[in-house]
Amino acid sequence: MERDEQRNSIKRVSRRHALRTVGAAAVGLAAAAALATSAAASPLQATPEQHPATQDVHWDGQVFDASGAVLNLGDWPGFWHDMQDLNLINQFQKDFNCTVQYDSSWPWFPKFAASGPQNPPLDVTNWNMPELFKTARTGDYFVPLDELKANVSNSADLWPFAFQNGYGITYLFSVLGYAYRTDLVDPPPTKFADFWDDRFKGKRATYITSNTIQMNFFMVASKVFGSNEMDMDAGFDAMQRAMPMKISDFTGNMQTLLERGEAVLGLQEDGEPFAQIDKGIPLGWMYWTERQPILDQTKTVSRWSQPLQKKLAYALIQRSTDPAYQEANGAQLYERPTNRKARIADNLANKGVVNTADAANQLWIPPLDWYLDNEQAISERVDRIFGA
Amino acid sequence: MAVAFNRLWFLVLPAFAIFLFFFVIPVLALLAIAFNPAKSGVVLFQPTLTLANFARWFSTSLYYNAAITSITVAVVVVVVTLILAYPLAYLVAKTTNPARTSLYMILILVAMQLDLVIRMYGLMVLLGDNGLINASLLQAHLIGQPLPLMYNGFGTVVGLVQLSLPFMVLSLIGIIRVIDPVFEEAARSLGGSRWATFWNVTVPLSMPGVLAGSLVVFALAISSYVVPALMGGWRVIVMPINIYQQISEQGNWQFGATIAVILFAMSLSAVYVYHRWTEKRIGGLL
Amino acid sequence: MIGKPSVEAEIPFGVRLGAVLAFVVMLLPVVIVVLAGLNAGEYLTFPPQGLSLRWVIGFLSSQSLRTSYLLSLSIAFVVMLLSTSLGTMAALFLTRVAFPGRSLMRAYFLAPLMLPGLVLGLALYIFYIVTNVGLARTLQGMVIGHVLVTVPYVIGTVSAALYNFDVSLEDAARSLGAGPVRAFRAITLPSISPGIMAGSIFAFIVSFGQFDISLFLSTPNITPLPIALYNSLRYRFEPTAAAAGVFAIVLVVLSMLLTNRIANFARFSGIKFS
Repeated sequence: MERDEQRNSIKRVSRRHALRTVGAAAVGLAAAAALATSAAASPLQATPEQHPATQDVHWDGQVFDASGAVLNLGDWPGFWHDMQDLNLINQFQKDFNCTVQYDSSWPWFPKFAASGPQNPPLDVTNWNMPELFKTARTGDYFVPLDELKANVSNSADLWPFAFQNGYGITYLFSVLGYAYRTDLVDPPPTKFADFWDDRFKGKRATYITSNTIQMNFFMVASKVFGSNEMDMDAGFDAMQRAMPMKISDFTGNMQTLLERGEAVLGLQEDGEPFAQIDKGIPLGWMYWTERQPILDQTKTVSRWSQPLQKKLAYALIQRSTDPAYQEANGAQLYERPTNRKARIADNLANKGVVNTADAANQLWIPPLDWYLDNEQAISERVDRIFGA
Repeated sequence: MAVAFNRLWFLVLPAFAIFLFFFVIPVLALLAIAFNPAKSGVVLFQPTLTLANFARWFSTSLYYNAAITSITVAVVVVVVTLILAYPLAYLVAKTTNPARTSLYMILILVAMQLDLVIRMYGLMVLLGDNGLINASLLQAHLIGQPLPLMYNGFGTVVGLVQLSLPFMVLSLIGIIRVIDPVFEEAARSLGGSRWATFWNVTVPLSMPGVLAGSLVVFALAISSYVVPALMGGWRVIVMPINIYQQISEQGNWQFGATIAVILFAMSLSAVYVYHRWTEKRIGGLL
Repeated sequence: MIGKPSVEAEIPFGVRLGAVLAFVVMLLPVVIVVLAGLNAGEYLTFPPQGLSLRWVIGFLSSQSLRTSYLLSLSIAFVVMLLSTSLGTMAALFLTRVAFPGRSLMRAYFLAPLMLPGLVLGLALYIFYIVTNVGLARTLQGMVIGHVLVTVPYVIGTVSAALYNFDVSLEDAARSLGAGPVRAFRAITLPSISPGIMAGSIFAFIVSFGQFDISLFLSTPNITPLPIALYNSLRYRFEPTAAAAGVFAIVLVVLSMLLTNRIANFARFSGIKFS
């Protein structure tokens, strides 16, 4: 017995010793790995002015021969990708004799951050504003907007809100509001505050805190129930009063919730329910009047891309702001144009969508810089409300 | 033993080296930034060290509660999966008709073929407020209100169990099959009931498979993001959800790494404790 | 059934009931998804608005999804070969050689399963970019990521088979003059082959369905199938992903009926990590 105990205690000591050794080795290895990676990652820091890629690049608006160059584009996957091939990329590759590498492995922010501004993973990138703001705020990643506008002559025909983000050109968009089941909701909602009606308890739906639509919803709620869109406490209170509700992670999931009747009223961007209505799902749509936020499609050009790639990037954005391209995307993807000369496709026009200065002036771009400054606090609080 | 070690080390070297270069170093390099001050857009290790991220984690209920939720969900999923999987594995292992064995195996493999997100859609059709189960119960006037079968912990557990079952079943079949029938026959001939034989002979002899299957399912459950996100209705905030939010959406990689460090340490200690516990319980078998 | 009762007849009723329950939990959602994938209507719904193959055909005729499918299939195949060899060798070492750090080394090989795939994917992505070893956004880089999370399964299944294998058989062959390699191939390999096969099935399935790790490691222009399907569900709720599942299920059933693989299932081995 004694012998056994003794052996056990030796075993225990040696185990502890082994653990300590392994622990020390792990810490050492971590430090070494971390130092090695950070050392490898601090190459010569050139300023934009010295870097060949940032020398003045001007595109004269003419088609040119890129002799097989590769343009890296970051854009959405799936059906969206198919339509971009059809409406834009196939012809573009032929005209400019180049290859567009279509990368759809979103999110983009970690990719830009891991590579650093001087080694951009993408030349042209399609964004929604919150992620674009996050990226742009942390480094000198993009060609300044004035320079971008100067190289994209269609800029003269775009509505002013297309540049309001300050970093890129918004070329397509949809408008946020409420989608509801016409067969299960009577009377239909008529104002923003109807979301909080008792009859929708447990049957209304919004998104997780990181979703662009939820960010906009929070700020509009803060404005409607408080003093302005930055009145966080009013926003928290509004979220609290909306519970219980369904929380969706993405628009596709929201479509499913509405189609199955798990939710009868949910936040959407108008393109989605319009497409669902045309497929025969009994949905209705209501715009908010207090504020009309949008879900934007905004393209940027990377500042440190090579001169040839930058010229191609400008040309791609020129074509993305072309009226014919924008109308085609309206017909297939239910997206609205930002070019004032673009025609509204019939499937949008028959739902009352117009392309007028009045309509454009009503659109609202939220104070995203303020939101991002407070994002951690807002998310933590709202997550707690959702999770209760 | 030293001789054998020298002779056979080449067998483990390739896997060991790949894990060292492509798992240990990259993961430690990323997790090391947990000790840096939080700064958006920075992914590389900085010389400035701090424990602020850990302090934030330990002082914010949203985050430390997620650790409790994660462990609870994973343990419940392991137990439920084991209880459900064991009889099925036993049935497949003891089936002697080859055609029937094949049918069972095909059914188990078929269950693994569906994409995770679309599988959760299938579960929503079943468990939702308007799902098949609630609709039939309401129709039969057995309930007046839909039962809360999803958008909560229950839905999350069901989703994870559905995902884990084939893994557990496949881990158990082989072990149960090779149990020498002599033991079971002996128990029966000594007058044990079928049930007693199953419980007192078969189950203990299959413990290595139970242990291995539990580890796989624990790993699947504790690292899952999609299932809690879609089935939990955001009421089941687990650590992978926190990590996903920080890394993929908010861009606070230092804090994301902090949560990952804690999750990783927690999982490994849980596995260690489980190992020690089972060693004591069924030491003779391991 | 007359005469000596078969082993099957000995299965207690409660166990049978439990097995049925397990099948129901496992397969009911699958049945629903299959029916939704055979929907004749315009959108994903249940019950389906009539049955048709339109979405399955749609899936097969979409160039991008076909490319994704083939990509995931080839990656899974390569990963299966790599992980099966690496894992089998490691398992041999871990079961045959007793050394002080053995349980630590087992934990070492289990560790990648304990981390959310997103973290591992991001860690590898940063590592590839920073070290500039030419693996960033390449197929090789993605394969390495998949190998890390599939080798543990192979080690587990092959260890289980080795655990049940009687080493004295191999020793006997050696004593009859067979070299170590020959003895291994003639005696050990055949008897642990069910474990190796089980491990390769796990490796294939885990790689084929891998989402989190691929998210950061996928290459431009081609997306692995799980990412393509997830994205199609995130943006548009069409029956495409369900149809892809129908196709995958048909493929599995056919390939198993056509090959003789099924026979081997009679000797299927489980998993063992300790």
